[in-house]
Parts: sequence; structure tokens; C-alpha cells
Amino acid sequence: MNRPVKIPDEQRGQTPPPQSSVHPERAGLRVPPDTSLATGSGRDDPQLTLLPPVSPERNPEPVPGQPLWLAVHLPHLALDALVQTDSAPSRPLILAEDPARPRVHDANRAARQAGVRPGMALADALAVLNAPIVLDYEPEATRRHLLTLAAVLLQFTDHVCPEAGDQRILLEVGRSLRLFRGAEALEAQVGDTLRQLGYTPRIGTARTPAAARLLARLRHPARPLDRDTLRRTLAPLPLTVLPLPAADIQALHGIGLERIGDLLRLPRHDLTLRYGARLPELIDRLLGDLPEPLPRFRPPETPAFHLEFDQEVSATGALRFPLKRLLLQLEQTLRVGNHRTQELELQLLHRDRTATRLTLERSQPGSRAEEWLELWSIRLSRLELPVPVRGLRLAVPQLLPAGDDSDGLFSRGDGSRDESGFLARLRARLGDDAVLRFAPTLHPLPEGAQEACGPDAFPALPGRAATPAQRVAGAALWLRPLQPAPPPGPHDWLGRLEGGWWAGDDQRRDYAVMPDQQGRLCWVFRDLRTGQWQLQGFWG
Amino acid sequence: MSALEELLAHPGLWRGRGTGLPATVPTRPTGFAHLDRTLRGGWPRGQLTELIGAPFGSGETRMLLPVLATCSRERRRVMLVTPPATPWIPGWRQLGVDPEGVFVIRATSEEDIIWSCEQILRHPKTGVLLAWLQGSRSAPLRRLRLAAGSGDACAFLYRPPAVASQASPAHLRIRWQADGDRLRLEVIKFTGGPIPAGQPVVIPRDAR
Repeated sequence: MNRPVKIPDEQRGQTPPPQSSVHPERAGLRVPPDTSLATGSGRDDPQLTLLPPVSPERNPEPVPGQPLWLAVHLPHLALDALVQTDSAPSRPLILAEDPARPRVHDANRAARQAGVRPGMALADALAVLNAPIVLDYEPEATRRHLLTLAAVLLQFTDHVCPEAGDQRILLEVGRSLRLFRGAEALEAQVGDTLRQLGYTPRIGTARTPAAARLLARLRHPARPLDRDTLRRTLAPLPLTVLPLPAADIQALHGIGLERIGDLLRLPRHDLTLRYGARLPELIDRLLGDLPEPLPRFRPPETPAFHLEFDQEVSATGALRFPLKRLLLQLEQTLRVGNHRTQELELQLLHRDRTATRLTLERSQPGSRAEEWLELWSIRLSRLELPVPVRGLRLAVPQLLPAGDDSDGLFSRGDGSRDESGFLARLRARLGDDAVLRFAPTLHPLPEGAQEACGPDAFPALPGRAATPAQRVAGAALWLRPLQPAPPPGPHDWLGRLEGGWWAGDDQRRDYAVMPDQQGRLCWVFRDLRTGQWQLQGFWG
Repeated sequence: MSALEELLAHPGLWRGRGTGLPATVPTRPTGFAHLDRTLRGGWPRGQLTELIGAPFGSGETRMLLPVLATCSRERRRVMLVTPPATPWIPGWRQLGVDPEGVFVIRATSEEDIIWSCEQILRHPKTGVLLAWLQGSRSAPLRRLRLAAGSGDACAFLYRPPAVASQASPAHLRIRWQADGDRLRLEVIKFTGGPIPAGQPVVIPRDAR
């Protein structure tokens, strides 16, 4: 069913590719979109293809459900992941690899304009640059970034396969096409998502992973969705783009082959005899005749996000922009699993591998980067950086299911919802225990008759009736730590409290309100066991 | 001529011999009829009210309980900023204030206190702000007045007696003092009109 049926191009109602004339793609690899290729027919239903086409306009999309691969190539991944703290990125920056024989791994625009190329010897690069920043390329950090992005891309499909060695992520999107309104729209959305996070992706779309990889690396605009168009798209490309050892390419050149098309025309059997099984297998994978199973990426349980800076930062204001990038990654990642979080942990990484650890908790779980950024800005603005910071790590201690995210029409206006993050802002600046509520309890003694709780949860109250302590001790307003009081003058009796004996803390008190000499209305009691007077608080 | 009338109708313009502000400042009833009369309707909303006096605990919070209970019934919050003692919530509840809507904010520096009050006043769910300001400076109150104007909460600022002689941007300033079983209130500034006659107003301070 999924095997495409070969039919002549005339029947497909398409312009035949201009094979007799010089094909535009022969001139070079970066070609403008060729509409005859990009809108290739995707119908594979043999019954339909036997009929003459109703109109020349055919559905350019493949049947949803058929495999379709998106390869996202991130050639500047390590560079993109670095935060340029300099406001003017005119200073050349080089990532150097291989300490034994230092070479340029990647260079920013300023350095590339001066002639620096990846793979160049570091000494040569330094010779042409004026005061460049040179940083070490860290493969492990780059791998982590790739996995973070793979987690972000899980929002487009459940089959994501990061290829860390090649700085590439493959996505099987055949079943996502209908949701995202077609291959072109999906590709644009994947690109926008990554660019928003500060990365520069190159995306290739094809019916096989191998071809998608190739097209992504070449920034080829075609989207070959069936075997024929794929074949025509690949045919004019030079052999050097194939993932083959240089010796093999050399050997193929030696027998006069230049383009992939030349290779495709050769009989498979002879190729196998001459070059072994590797070459025909590659061709079969490219065209989809041999399936290429790819593992599925599983995101970590508790996501974490990293960013490194190109220079050390000693002002908290400069952390805002990189933090925003991290929070956007967080938002995108949480969107995948429809998660939210109530708490975030931010580590400010220092040069000596130490870190300053900050946590921020808000009363309502959320995922929006804007909201979190506002809270973090408040927290960071009050922080004195002890040592310069050279990177950030943001971790989510616990993921929460999204549940009802909307501040609904029917939410009670009782503070159980914190619609604008107002209480969270207060807590971010003043500290977590600076915003309190008090809930009445059934404890018989006034000093135990309430418990402090945060703004998040509030226990169900024991009925509407007065609590035991309140019944005997009256409706005083303020509580103080107990302190001995002088015997009062004229006073109003409130009631007698007897309790606590079951807990070994026998208390018998007579409560009263008594104005003192300064005019305060004191809330006092006489301990019936000792006869002592105690000040419990204030009435007014 | 019409230009002049237009000008006179402007709420920001007060004519000295007139009847005071056209009743544009919304109020909440205080719960005491004679106090309502003196305050032209009740406690002003969206404005600062200074309550100047000492010592803490003389009944200056209890006199606000009627307005706190009203807010609580409307499910709006009562925000206490740096109170000198812990509220005893069973008592508040008995007087009609829902504990779930009473928040205590703790802060130490003046800057934090003013900032918190600003945030609170700008929030639409705030019904009443009670803030105990120890500092004697009146300048930060300007920020609070702006914040109060963007909402419609009643903003009560408790201040020490020493500030009574200072200028202040507050809409209403009241000096209070305990007097036996009553609380004596004296209006010392009331924007938009003369100091009301019939001073001081005396209210009972031991409402059970």
C-alpha cells in the first residue's frame, strides 16, 4: 500500500523535469525552490493514479500517516548555545576544539567575515583576528543542548531521534501533518520554535531519514514526499554530499560518476560486487527501499536547562536575557507533556565549578516564561553576586500535571487563585515566609488556636461556629507572646477557660479585657492555679 | 462662560467657599453613623487615609472592623502590612472577617514596605490595606497615593503621633486617642473641604 507506484510524469499532470536541458541544480547546490519538485504529488493510491488527473493541481501533501521525516541540522549548535553577553556582537569569537592540535570548531559572524573557517588551525585563525574571544568547545555540553532541544521538539511528534555526533535531530512527522496543517507549515513552525530559542536550524524534509539529513545539510528547499520526486531531487546532487568515506567517493569519481543520479542508474548487483553491500544499502535507505529504524528519544523525568556565557557576568541585570532564553525552553518543554511547575531552581555557575543555588516557588503552578521571568527578575534584582557568573542552569524539581490552567469564569474570588502572580511577586521579593495567613484551629488555648499557613493552601475551617478558645476568651484582635501583667484595676470578665489537662498541660484561666494606663485595651487572663496575671494580647 | 462652567465642574478643582468636592470620592460606610456624616459618607476608597496615634492596641483596629467585614463579605482581601502583633484570627472571624482573605505581609526595610503596599493597592482583589508605617518620612506616601488611585481599596496607614505636624499627600488624616472606654477621632486634614465641624468624633472602642 505504501509502496509508490511508478508512473510516467505525463500522467501525473506535472511538468516533466527539464532533464534534457541543463538542470538548474547542476550549477550549484543552493538553488531557488523548484516548484516542480517542491509540490510533488504524494498520492500513492494506485487506483487513483490509473485515472487521468482531474486537474493539474494535485494535493501536494502526502497521505497523513505515511512516514515523513524532518531532519533538523544545527551546524552552529555550540555557538548558538553560548550567550553573547556583549551587546555588540562585533567582537570575533572562536570555539576551539582538540587541545592537542587546536582547531576552530566554529566561529561567529565577525570571525567568519575575517576569514576564519571551521576546521582551520587555531594559530591561523588567531593571526587574522583582532582580540578574539577563544573558548573551548565542549562536546558534552553541546550534547546536552541537543537533548534539551529534542525534548522541545517532542511537541511536534512522539518520534524524535537526536543524533548528537552530527548535531542533528530527526523527527518522524507523518502522523502529525494533519494537526499542523501540512508539511510546509510544520517545517516553518519547527524552525520558528528553534529560532525563538536562539538557535539557527537547517531543516530538510523527505520521506526517508537519510534523504532528510542530506537535504537539511544542503539547505535544499525541496520536500520530496514520494519515491519519484525524491529520486529526481537527489539525482542532480554531487556525490560528495553522500555520507561516505572520502576513499569511496574518490573511487566513484574514478569510474566517471559525478552525480547521485549517475549512481542510481547503475545496476545494484554490480555495485554490490564492486563496493560491497554498503553502497547499495545507502542508496536503498535514501530512497526508502530499505527501512531505517531509529530509536525513540525519551525525555528526562525532571528537565534541566543550561546556558554558558562567552564572558563572565558580574551584574544581575545581565542575567535577565539568558534567563529568558532558559525560561522559553522551559515553557516549550513543559508544553510537550502538558505540564506545569510550581517551583524552579536556578544555579548561577561560577568559574571554579561552584554554583549559587536559588529557588523560587510560586503559589500557582504555571509554565509561562513571561510570568516566571518577572518573578525571577524581582528575585535577582535583590541579589548581590558573590562571584562572577559564567553560566546558568535551570532545573525543575517536580513536574505537575497541567490540570485546569485557566482562571475560570467560576473561580471563587477568595485568594485561592492568584490570577496575576501578585502573591508570588510579593514572596519573590520578601521571602517565602513573608506572606502569611492564619487558620483557626480547635485548640482550646488561644495561643494555639490558629496556625500559620502560606498563601497557597488553606485548610477547611471547622464550621461557622466560634472555636472553643474564642468562646471563652472573646473576640480579641491581636496575639502576643505571653508576658506577666500587673494585677488589673477595673476590668470586664470574658469567660473561664479550662482545658489541656488531657495533654498533661492543665490550664485554668479567667479572661478579661483591661485598659492600661497608656490607653491600650489589654487582653489578659488570671492563671487560676498560680493567681498570676498574664498579658495575652490586645483587644483593640 | 461655558468654558468657566466646564472648568468649575472639573473634579480636581476645589472652590474654597463651596460645598467641597463634588461627591466624587467613593466611600465605604464606617459602621458609625455620626462618623459617616463627618467623613462625607465614610472611609474614602482609592485614597490614602492616615490614622495617627499611639499606642498600638487602643482600639484603632477594632474601629475598622465593620469595613473589614464588609470587604470580607464581598470576598475581597484584607492585607495587613507589618502589623506590630500577630492577628488573633478566631477573634477576627467572630467579628465577620473571613480568615481565608486575611494576609499578613512581613517586611523589614522601608523600601520593601512601600513596595509591598504599592503592589497590594494596585491589585483588584484588595479590599482594605492596613499598613503600620514606622518611618516618619512622608515622601514615599506619594507613590502610595498613586497606587491607591489605580484601585478602589481603602488604604489605612497607621503612623506615629510625631508625623501629625508634617505635610502629607494623604486624602484624609485622622488623629486618634484613647479616652476611657471610647476612642476620640480628630480630622486634621480632609482634601477637598474644610475640616469638618463637630470635632472630635467619639466612638465606643469596646465593641464586643
